[in-house]
Amino acid sequence: MSDLIERLEHIIVDSTVKARGTSVAKRRRRNPTKPSAKWVAPATIGNEVGAALAVVLGTVGCSHARGDSGGCTMCSYLLDGDERSPTTDELLQQFEVALSDLADKSAPLSVKIYTSGSFFDTTEIPADARARILARIAKDERIQEVVIESRPDYVTPELMRETRNILGSRRIEIGVGLESSNDAIRSICINKGFSLGTFKNSVANAKEYDIGVRAYVLLKPPFLTERDALLDAVKTIEDAAKLGVSTVSMNPINIQKYTLVERLWLKEQYRPPWLWTVLSVLREAWDKVGSSVNILCEPVAAGKPRGAHNCGSCDESITSAIREFSIHQDVSVFDSLDCDCMRQWHHVLNHEDISLLIHSRSRRKRVGKA
Amino acid sequence: MTEFLIGRGHDGPARVGVYKMGSTKVQTPFLVGPPSTESIIGYATLGRNDSPAGGPTILAIPSPIHDSKSLISGVREDDSLLLPSFPAVSTLGTEAAEILLENQLRFIDEVQGKVDPSRLIVRIPQQFDSEKLASILAEFSSLGVRAASVSLDGWLGPHDYSALGKRTMLPIDWLTIALGRISPSSVPFLFYLGFDVFDLGYAIESASRGVRLWNLSEESITGRILPRTCSCIACADHSDLRELCRDELHTVLLRHNLNIYQSILSESIQSLRLGRLRWLVESMVHSSTAAASLLRMTDRSLFAFLEEFTPTSGQTNLSLIGPESYNSPTVKRFRDCLASRYTPPEHKKLILLLPCSARKPYSESKSHQRFIKAIEHSIGTTRSSVAETILTSPLGVIPRELERLYPAAYYDIPVTGNWDTEETEIATEALVTHLQKFAESAEVVAHVSGGYLDVVKSAEDRVNQSIVYTTDQHSPSSFDSLQSLQNVLKDMREIFSLKGGPPTLFEDTLRATADYQFGPGAGEALVPDGAKLGGKLYRMVVCRVNKEQTCAFIGDGGSLSLTLEGGRRLIPLRRYWVRFEGRKLQGGSVFAVGINEADSGIRPGDEVLVLNNQDEVIAVGRSEMSGREMCDFKKGQAVSVRHKVK
Repeated sequence: MSDLIERLEHIIVDSTVKARGTSVAKRRRRNPTKPSAKWVAPATIGNEVGAALAVVLGTVGCSHARGDSGGCTMCSYLLDGDERSPTTDELLQQFEVALSDLADKSAPLSVKIYTSGSFFDTTEIPADARARILARIAKDERIQEVVIESRPDYVTPELMRETRNILGSRRIEIGVGLESSNDAIRSICINKGFSLGTFKNSVANAKEYDIGVRAYVLLKPPFLTERDALLDAVKTIEDAAKLGVSTVSMNPINIQKYTLVERLWLKEQYRPPWLWTVLSVLREAWDKVGSSVNILCEPVAAGKPRGAHNCGSCDESITSAIREFSIHQDVSVFDSLDCDCMRQWHHVLNHEDISLLIHSRSRRKRVGKA
Repeated sequence: MTEFLIGRGHDGPARVGVYKMGSTKVQTPFLVGPPSTESIIGYATLGRNDSPAGGPTILAIPSPIHDSKSLISGVREDDSLLLPSFPAVSTLGTEAAEILLENQLRFIDEVQGKVDPSRLIVRIPQQFDSEKLASILAEFSSLGVRAASVSLDGWLGPHDYSALGKRTMLPIDWLTIALGRISPSSVPFLFYLGFDVFDLGYAIESASRGVRLWNLSEESITGRILPRTCSCIACADHSDLRELCRDELHTVLLRHNLNIYQSILSESIQSLRLGRLRWLVESMVHSSTAAASLLRMTDRSLFAFLEEFTPTSGQTNLSLIGPESYNSPTVKRFRDCLASRYTPPEHKKLILLLPCSARKPYSESKSHQRFIKAIEHSIGTTRSSVAETILTSPLGVIPRELERLYPAAYYDIPVTGNWDTEETEIATEALVTHLQKFAESAEVVAHVSGGYLDVVKSAEDRVNQSIVYTTDQHSPSSFDSLQSLQNVLKDMREIFSLKGGPPTLFEDTLRATADYQFGPGAGEALVPDGAKLGGKLYRMVVCRVNKEQTCAFIGDGGSLSLTLEGGRRLIPLRRYWVRFEGRKLQGGSVFAVGINEADSGIRPGDEVLVLNNQDEVIAVGRSEMSGREMCDFKKGQAVSVRHKVK
């Protein structure tokens, strides 16, 4: 099997690079002093209800996606970034702009720093910018929780020590895209570019400084059948819990522009997961590890063609049940859900394994040329 | 040990046989589906579905990204296994497809000793270089693999077209499984192309969507339209399916849909036995434009494959109804063979073009009896100088001598008098080619009107001979036209100073038939000058040379049966021979196991020579399969012996 991975790897890299096309080079110039995105939402922090600020800093973008390896098969978040790397001052300005949204909020607050890449990658966020942003947070007593995203390669003991030192006793969690605990899937289907060993190290390094790891688990990478995807997501959540992550965030694929997944989807060689699959993964994973770890799921574009979807008539009720579950960690919210399309989904689960045919949509008469 | 045995009978690449899964013998073709669906072979995924109780199952080994080797030990002896691959491979290009195919080979190696390779089924990737595929498949073959599956998406577009192409490249003695979305209307077509097993997935998918399937169409039961009446056992008790609750409706639809597949498959099998499968295929392609395009494209580019397994003789009425028939293997092969093998006798100085008739052979029709009467009235015994040539669609041209031949004597077309452009083009092409075989000095008399006349007119520029028209746009069998024909023929006799002589119809017929059947030179070999011919064309004409019979012309089917002497005379042509490896023929058949070498031009239904290792004829008979099959098959009757050396 390792031979299979080795032989397929360069083909996947080539296909990912090809799908990327010129999109990275042609990124729109953006204002380097404003963040790519920011939003404030109510959140549970510790045992209290407070507000969480999420900020996406505009950087040059994920090194993995920028590089020759083409990046992940499903991700084009780096297109939010800019060809030109912002200066340290500009990055700080971006952060200040976002932080001002919390001006009138009272404790407890949470701050989530995203970059469409890795906060700990110095080619995206220079070391001095990183230290000053963290120091800025440290000055604000209201902020009791900090969430940072990074690839695991950058989660080193030195950086963990630095982060812990600056942020003091605040709760810290680092979001790491594990995606799958299966090396073959992470490599061939996702082109993630790191091994499970690297992820394990990052969890250990963070734990050393009492920093948690939020494992991102991907639901339905390409080249899997619906059931392959379901089983792999459950297994991954289980494995992540065993590895000692602090939270699991389960992410059904949404189809992003200029990705290999989008190319496959356009050729009807890929379909985002069914919401029934999302629900099954949550239910099965919760049964297995729900007592030890929180499982979150906020499906992007749920109910839309580019996101996890069902038949159209049940999508909304299922999506809101999934949100409900994320908040309360209660699987009984799924109990009453039912729809005619569940039979179709059962058929897909069985039949894709046998036929290896992607059931992208129901066969219907195409409009002829005449 | 799992084994696939192909039985007797052919209609195109379609075949019937037996798939032996352990001690269970399954008649092919058969349907596969989830084990809950009754009376079919079930499929399931290894380690993911409970292995179904009861009969043997086809088990899919999960994706190669998982290590499934440990699961193999739990598999029952009579189960077959689909080798691991993953979806959408073809989008990654041929290199990825090759890697995954080689990975299947490696898997076989890894489970060696645990699973007999005869139980394994190769998954054929969509995108692949033909030559490479052939060489990799040979490796699978040498390991003992005897089955392959091809995945169809059901759109009948480029993806499915390429899947069909892959099917034609598989070793001919392999069981071939069609997986994916297969609508009922595609079943006869896929069977015709040589698939032996059909996935019922679409029946189940449709039922889950509230859709009832029919042979040619689909019916959604959720709409406002009153559902159709159906008397099948599943639907009969329910006058309006919309009144059923969800679960009941699903049960009814599932059973109905499975019934439809069973009925269309049994119709396909029966059609094969009756030699009417091609007709069934043609009549069903109108279910969708995609199906029609797919058949036409298949006829064009996979013609060699279809033709190789299409019988050359038959006595079934051949209904050639629409444009799909114009290039069907039987029809196109007739035109091609006529063009390449027919040589007009030298004594033909006039070419008389006549319209076809509904009654076959033509000479027994009313119109042709009038034509013949007119010819004999006007020029009498000089008739032998006239090359009576019948124009027809879609066979093109048929010389009088070959009018009893299959398919010329057995086809039927809808007659409206209007020819479409393609028909006209086909006939024009055939006519031009045909007339090139005659001397420039010969005269063409066109006794045709309507569409036939259009054909002659459109050929005129490319014809070297001069053409006289006799009908003045009237019906060729009208009094005036016949009168005019007689006058023209009389004039021609004068101008060419044609002389009467003994009738040559027997010689002409037997020689032309011999050339058509065995290729140029056969006529002279079997019916040399001085041969004695006796009998009736509509029954039998026996040919004797020096009192020894060489062959007999059989009116039904219009073909020659050889004697051993006839066979010997054909040896120098080096065609239609089969080499028997054994010492002595036993009984009335030669079996494929005894044949390693045979003329690859042999088709089922051909008259063939059986040679020994010294190139001596030891028997003559009728082939039951194509030459390639005789060489590749380990079992089955290859030749039905007519005469053999005592």
